[in-house]
Amino acid sequence: MSDLAKRCIAELTGTALLVYFGAGAAAITLMIARGTDTGTPFNSGIGALGGLGDWFAIGMAFAIVIAAVIYSMGRVSGAHINPAVTIALWATKRFPPGETGAYIVAQLIGGALGSLLFAASAGMDAVTVGGLGATAPFPGIGYGQAILAEAIGTFVLMMVIMGVAVDKKAPQGFAGLVIGLTVGGVITTIGNLTGSSLNTARTFGPYLIDSLLGGPDLWVYFPIYVIGPIVGAVVAAFFYGYIGGEAVTVE
Amino acid sequence: MKCYVCAKEGRSPDAVAVGIICGMGLCTEHAMREELDMWEGGYPFPARRVKAKIPRILCPECYHALKGK
Ligand SMILES: [Zn+2]
Ligand SMILES: [Zn+2]
Repeated sequence: MSDLAKRCIAELTGTALLVYFGAGAAAITLMIARGTDTGTPFNSGIGALGGLGDWFAIGMAFAIVIAAVIYSMGRVSGAHINPAVTIALWATKRFPPGETGAYIVAQLIGGALGSLLFAASAGMDAVTVGGLGATAPFPGIGYGQAILAEAIGTFVLMMVIMGVAVDKKAPQGFAGLVIGLTVGGVITTIGNLTGSSLNTARTFGPYLIDSLLGGPDLWVYFPIYVIGPIVGAVVAAFFYGYIGGEAVTVE
Repeated sequence: MKCYVCAKEGRSPDAVAVGIICGMGLCTEHAMREELDMWEGGYPFPARRVKAKIPRILCPECYHALKGK
């Protein structure tokens, strides 16, 4: 098997784990909160039990699985597990154009596989009640607002990737922990705005499997999770390249 | 500089190398030289073995301690 194929399997596996444990935590939260009086129209179930603590818990599920995937597979494939990250590295000439498409396809398949495995583990309530943790704008959040929030969240994620990993002056060994916690923190704040995807594959997986298994049809919102994350990540990569100087210069 | 290992045995050949860990002077017979693989990359890039290898020299004691034999 070629080196690229093995790396694509690593991306697929990593993204599947991200969606299973991260999006899965959101689905579980909705299943636990089922039937609870949500109090305000801004509350769709996540937040019914622990307020912002619900989002913090979901954020921690993401944080831990992201750290696990980065530490375990970072040296194999780079562990992007996110098309926006791969595209940002490609756009700034840090990742080969010929491999970018393969990585993205692997990430999208991995996202779908993660959702499928979660549905298989948790049962049909995970699809019909939990929506497999699919992201969508929350009540009162407009399309443009959602794109902005996703772009800002992914900007922060990509800035941190640049600062703790791509930058040659960065201290070694912290990337997985810091990047995981960054995503967890971002989810705590913008989770109740957009679901805080920051990742086209993380949204694609639940959307596809929801469609196949009779869950909610949210495809009308999909462009939010394509445009927002990609714009945020690409802007961050160029921005850090500009302010970061020599240590992030591409040779 | 003379070879430390040989000097202990009462001989005095010149040292041609220095162990990188303990700093012993070593003759050609006692310098343990190996070429090690170099890797570049790592998150968020795949790690790749660099073509050029990097030579390292140890004294016999350090070498056996490192290799566990
Ligand atoms: Zn000697
Ligand atoms: Zn030595």
